[in-house]
Formats: sequence, structure tokens, C-alpha cells
Amino acid sequence: MIELIDVSKRFGDTVVLAGVTARVERGEIFAVIGPSGAGKSTLLRLINLLDRPGGGKIRVNGVDIHAEKEQRLRIRRMMGMVFQKPAAFNSTVYENIAVGLRFRGTGEGVIRKKVRDALDVVGLAGYEERRARTLSGGEMQRVALARAMVIEPEVLLMDEPTANLDPVSVGMIEELVLRINRDLGTTIMISTHDMYQGQRLAHRIGVLMDGAFAQVGTPREVFTVPASREVARFVGIENIIEGVVVAAGNGKSAIDVGGIPIQAVSPLSRGEDVCLCIRSEDLRIVQPDGGGVPSGNSLPGTVTSIAPRGPFSRVTVDCGFVLSSILSWKAVDSLGIREGSRVVVSFAPESVHVVRAAQG
Amino acid sequence: MYEIIEGFLEAVELIITLDPDVMAISARSIIISFTATIFATMIAVPLGAAINFGTFRGKKSLINLIQTLYALPTVIVGLLIFLLISRVGPFGFMRLLFTPTAMIIAQTVLVLPIMTGLTISALSGVDPVIRDTLHSLGATRLQFLINIMKEARFAILATVAVGFGRAISEVGAAILVGGNIMASSFMSSTRVLTTAISLETSMGNIPKSIALGIILLVIALGVNLIIATIQHR
Amino acid sequence: MRRRTLFAVATVMVALLLICGCTGTTQPDTPVDTEKQQLRIATTTSLYDTKLLDRLSAIFEEEHNAEVLIVSAGTGKAIEYGQRGDVDVLMVHDRAREDVFLADGYGTNRRVFAYNYFIIVGPESDPAAIKGLQPEEAFTAIREKGMAGDADVIFVSRGDASGTHSKEKAIWKGAGFNYSTDVQGSGDWYQEAGTGMGATLSMTNEKQAYALSDIGTYLAYKGDLDLVTLVDEGDILLNVYCAMQINPEKYPDINSTIAKDWINFMISDDVQKEIASFGVDQYGQPLFYAAQDDWEKIGVSLAEVTDPVL
Repeated sequence: MIELIDVSKRFGDTVVLAGVTARVERGEIFAVIGPSGAGKSTLLRLINLLDRPGGGKIRVNGVDIHAEKEQRLRIRRMMGMVFQKPAAFNSTVYENIAVGLRFRGTGEGVIRKKVRDALDVVGLAGYEERRARTLSGGEMQRVALARAMVIEPEVLLMDEPTANLDPVSVGMIEELVLRINRDLGTTIMISTHDMYQGQRLAHRIGVLMDGAFAQVGTPREVFTVPASREVARFVGIENIIEGVVVAAGNGKSAIDVGGIPIQAVSPLSRGEDVCLCIRSEDLRIVQPDGGGVPSGNSLPGTVTSIAPRGPFSRVTVDCGFVLSSILSWKAVDSLGIREGSRVVVSFAPESVHVVRAAQG
Repeated sequence: MYEIIEGFLEAVELIITLDPDVMAISARSIIISFTATIFATMIAVPLGAAINFGTFRGKKSLINLIQTLYALPTVIVGLLIFLLISRVGPFGFMRLLFTPTAMIIAQTVLVLPIMTGLTISALSGVDPVIRDTLHSLGATRLQFLINIMKEARFAILATVAVGFGRAISEVGAAILVGGNIMASSFMSSTRVLTTAISLETSMGNIPKSIALGIILLVIALGVNLIIATIQHR
Repeated sequence: MRRRTLFAVATVMVALLLICGCTGTTQPDTPVDTEKQQLRIATTTSLYDTKLLDRLSAIFEEEHNAEVLIVSAGTGKAIEYGQRGDVDVLMVHDRAREDVFLADGYGTNRRVFAYNYFIIVGPESDPAAIKGLQPEEAFTAIREKGMAGDADVIFVSRGDASGTHSKEKAIWKGAGFNYSTDVQGSGDWYQEAGTGMGATLSMTNEKQAYALSDIGTYLAYKGDLDLVTLVDEGDILLNVYCAMQINPEKYPDINSTIAKDWINFMISDDVQKEIASFGVDQYGQPLFYAAQDDWEKIGVSLAEVTDPVL
């Protein structure tokens, strides 16, 4: 129901968005994730008609929203937006939530009921007469959410809504987002720099990098099958190595990485320059004499560092190129390895995700 | 020292016994400056909003100019208005010189720059997210302006207080365009607190000067006190 | 943006309209009396501060059903108001400048209604020993002692182109000095105050110096000053007050009828008596002398003190 067609925007000399294209289906939760400054806020503001795109089109329900001036108010009024900074008007909570309804000329009795219901939904029943500016960050954001939802929008836009909140509030807001989408069928677009939040909430994720969507797909797709090296890096894949395809066939490829052959599952053909993306969790470390993945890759190497990472350890091994794996302390202990130990890094061809080096 | 104390006591007497001269002068000061402030507000607030929310070339220069005009000396405004409304001036036919109306005009012009400038400051001090929120909720232009004013209401109220304070305290323009006339009818006289203090002092009537001075202080400070109280609600 | 500009413009126009509306209500037609005329007079501060005009205008307002608005300023400024046609009547006391005013066609129908004398005041100790001298001699003595470096001898001048200042300059000239080269800036003994008469006298008192003052202001301030009258005789100290109408030929909107009424009022017998007795209760001596009695002495024509304006 929201179509972004080659949308671009620049501020002065800085190009913020260039060729953003995607579709958001009705009733889905779509998360826009990406590094800070990638243009997530700008994109949402363009959709909410708070700014005009420099190029391209944005269609909502088939209508180009920036085309006609007279339409703008009507279209804006079917969308609601929650901003990163909880902004409350200098009045009571009741007044804050009622603002949108007042703009639409709703009767006072109706307003009273709707505000009360909205406060119930966000868990702030009885807060009507509190001065909005005295609330905590989390409470203010819930008021902002109530304020946006009370006008019953078809589309809810949220710009990093939990960025400045404590974990408990973050949880509350996320639960509300899911509930709103489930109970009211509202289409929700939420931007966040926390990819795990995107993973928790969204049906689909768009990774916005360098002003365009580097990848649009389900959370699983984005996290396990990144479309480019940059996306891979962003979604937290630590092992990204360059190589060249030397043999291909039957959907399998052999890739040469600095003289060392790696088996991978990939449709790419011979001669292509590629990047291999391997998640740390998929790398197993075994003793040189045994264990390892059958018919998989086994690369001997030397442990260069063992660094703590919460309840885990990051073990870095030099096999001619650097690979790092995540192991529990217990595993490290039972392997009896330390810096300088000789080990074998073992992983299945299916764990190797191959992308063209030219991409990104 | 003795002169000051003696003068002070006589002044209090003049005030308590509601000396008619003193009362008339005080009332006139308040009426003229209050009217001027109202007019200036009616112009400055919409103008300030238009400048603040508009996008046009030379916006920064315009705001700079307005802020420079804060320091406009009152006598210069007085001189300007005097030249315009004197019988030989372009607006002489309106016969405004030496009338309370002329003083209202002069004071309005005088406080206009500072009120416009402070309005612009007040409005630009409203969080941009608030502006986005209002637009996002579907406000029409008018609804937007009204709500922004509401958000900035304390700062705008302070602006009005500043304007009134400046208007009632100035003497340069008041003497030039008003003439400090004490006529038999209230409406035709142009003597106000500041010009009266000037006159009475030069004539050596210290108690009366002190009395008028006390009243001027009370009014000027009183208005600010009222505004501050409202703001703290 | 366009809509907001329109809004702002509209507001400005409404405000202007209201101002014009206000003008209508402050016209001569006050809500109470429908036919009350307004008479505007420009006069000098020294004359106004004696409160003679307040007393006389109260009488005039009753007799003529008019409203008298008096603007007081330094002589120069009052004359300026007259030249610009901002007032109907000009009342000053500077014969030379009045003549120019009349010659230039700004004024007409001058009538002299009162006179008094300037006085030279100073400290009781009188270091320059001017008591009883003629004014020109007194000035010469002051200057001599001052130039010689006697620190107790100081003269405070109005220094503001007022009628009093003009008279002072005339005395210096009469004593044979070139004001701008011999007097002004010739030493610390000569100080220019640049203020009204009252403030100048206060300053003179502070410094225990000499000054030229009109009698009205001096008497009004006498209680607060430690200065005494040292020289009060001499033709050059004569201070003649006149009233003249602003020329209706130059400024047709001038309210000439009421202006003429006022001038005639000033030279009427009753008012001349009023003037002669003004101030006696308060100061023990009159502040003014009626011009009609002494027209020869003060050097004007009989016509100027008696002929009614037509």
C-alpha cells in the first residue's frame, strides 16, 4: 500500500537518499534499519509529507502523495507518526492526545471517550490530568503513541521510537506495536538502528545504506543471506573474506582465498570476484587430529587471540586469513586451547554465504 | 539626604490622598502605553510568525536588522514621527501633533522592533519536533499557528511585558510628539509620568517628582510581576 | 507563506484604521462640549514655569468656551513650532528673534503684555565684587577675575540658545566682548550648563557661582538656593514678553479666531491687572509688570500694548 519509487532527497550538497525503492504491504510491520545518518528519518518524514522528495514518487494506496497540494492534508491525516524525541505539548496528557481529534473537529464527548480508551491501551489509564512534560521518557513516548493512534490512522510511522528509552520502556513500546498491528491491522513502518529490534518486530526489513535499500526481505533472509558485503557487516557477520571462484557446478562452487580452497553453496560462476560471509556461530573449532564437519571445509590454523565476549569467547584463528568463532567458555576449556595453539577451523559449505564482491 | 526623605514623605501623601493631578497623569500613562502595546502586539506577533516560519531570501538579514533596531534611541523615533506629523510634514493634515494619538503611534513604532524580534525568538525556540508533530497530526495552517503560539505562550507574554515596560518608561518621543501638555480636559492632555517627572524636576518640585517616580516604578514592576505570576501557574 | 503574509498585512491595515479612528475622537470635538475650540500655544519654559499662563488660561477657557493647550520648550524650539505652523500662538521674550519671525512672515499681530527684569545672582560673599554695578560692568568684573585665575569666580551660563541665553550674550556684547572668542571656552571660569533655568540655578548654587536668571524662576527656587540678587538694575536687563499670532496666510488651518481672542485677552484691562498682581501672595513681590502701564519705558509702541487685534 506504500510504494517508494526511486525516491531521492538532498540537503544542500549532501545527498541523503538516492533511488530508494520498495513496497510496504497493507497490514505488515516493515522495519527500516541502517546505520545512523543513512536517511531513515528523512525517508519517514517524506512519507509523512513533512518534506518533499527531490526526485522519485511516493504512492499511498496508488495515489502519488506529493502530487497535489489540496490532497496533502487529507493524506497526512490518515497517517500517524511517533518521533525519536518524545515531544509533548506544554499542557495536560489529555490535551496532548486530544490535539489531533480537535484538528478534525471531533465533539468533546467523543474525544473524552477516545482519549480514555487510548490511555488504557498504552497502559496509562488515569493520567489525563497529569502535565505531559513531567512524565518520564517512556511514559511520554506512550502518550505520543496514544496521540498518534487516537486518530485511527491507516499507517503508523515510527522514527527510532525507543532510541532514548530504558529497556523496560522499550519492551512496553514494542509490545504495543505488535498489539496495534495485530488488533487493528495498522500498517506500521518503524525505523531503528537496533537490528535485533527490527528482527523482533518486523515482517520484513529494509536495510537502508548509502541512501538506498541495499536489501529488502524477511529478517531471516537479511540476517543469514545478506545481499552485499556492507549488509553483511551491518547485520553482524564478522567473517567477510575475499576470493575468486575457480570452479562451479551443481550449485556448488570452489573459491580460492589466497591460495586456500573453500567449498561453498553458490550459483555464481567461475572467475567471479566474491566475498564470503560466514557467521561466527557457524565456525567450529576442533583439535587438529579429529572432529569437524564431514565433507565440509577444514582449515588448519593457529589461535591468535581469545577474547571474552559476555558468557562467550571470541576465538580468532589465522588460517592464512583470519577467521573468528564464538565459543562458550566451557567449550574453550574442554578444547584446552590458548594463544598459539594449533587448531582446525571447520564449517559446512552451506554456512558460507557468497556475494559478488562488486556489490555494495 | 533630608531633602530626599522629606520629598518621599510628601510623595506618599500625594499618592494616598489621590492627588487629582498625579492620578490623571498616571491614568494617562497607563492608557497610552497599554494601547500602544496592544497595537504593537497585533502587528508584531503575526509579523514575527510570518518571518519565523517563512522561507525567503534575506531572512537572516531581516532578523539581524530587527535585532539591531532594538537599540533604536527613543528620541530618534520621536523626531521621525514629529517630522511626519508636524503641520509641514506629509501627514500634517491629520493634525496629530501634540495629541495622545501621536504618542500612541510613537510608542507603537518604538516597541515594534523589539516585540517582533522577541516573538521570532519565542517561536523559533519551540522544538522543531513539536512543529513536525503538529503537522503530522494534520493541522491546517491556522491550527498550526494557533498551537505554536500556545506552546510559546509564556515567551510571547514576556514579550508583551517587555513592550509595555519600554513604552511606559520612555520620555524622548513622548515629549517631542506630545508636548507635555496639561490641558483642562483629560483627553487633550499629553502629560504622562515620564514627561511630568522631567518637568517637575526641572521646576524644582521634588516631592511631586518622587511621587510620580514611585508610581511609575510600581506600574512598571507591577506589570512584570503579574506576567511572572501567570507564567508560573 | 503567502497566507501568513496576507494575515500580517491585514493586521497592519486594521491597526492603522484603528489609529485613524482614534484621531477622530481626539479632534476638538470632545464628547462633552460639542463646539469647544482648541487653542495651541507655544511658549518658553521660563514663562511657563511661573504658572502665570495656567492661571490666565483657566480664566480664558471659561470666558471663551475653549481649550488651551500649552507646549513649553526652549525659546528656539518654541519659535520652531511657530515656524512649522504646529501652534496658533507664540509667546516668547526675545525681541530680536521675534522681529525676524515677523519679517519672515511667520507671525503677525504681535502684542506686548508684560515685562520684568533679569537679575544677576551669585554667592553672598561676592568674590568679584559686582554688587550694585551695572550689568555690563558686572560681567566685565567677573570675566577679569575669572581669567586671572581666581578659583572662586565662576559664571554658569544657560548655554542653550534660550531667551535667557540670548540676553546674556547681549550683555557680553554690550560690555564690548566678542562672545565666541572672548567668552565661550575662554577658561574654566565660564561654564555652559545646557539645561533649563531651574537646573542651571541648581548648578550655580552647587558651585556658588554667578548666573543670569529671570526673576520668576529665581523666586520659585529661592528657598533652596544660597544665592542672592546682586545686580537687578539696568536697561539691558529688561525682559519683554509678547504674544503673537501665527500667520494664517502661511498656515490657513490656524485657528485664527481663537488666537486673536487670546491676544486681545492678554492686553485687556482685567488681565493686565491680574498680571501685575501675580505672585505677590506667594513671593512677596510681583513676578511681572503690566506692559500697558510702561510702554514707553520698555521701548515699544502704544499700539503694541493697547490696540486690539481685529
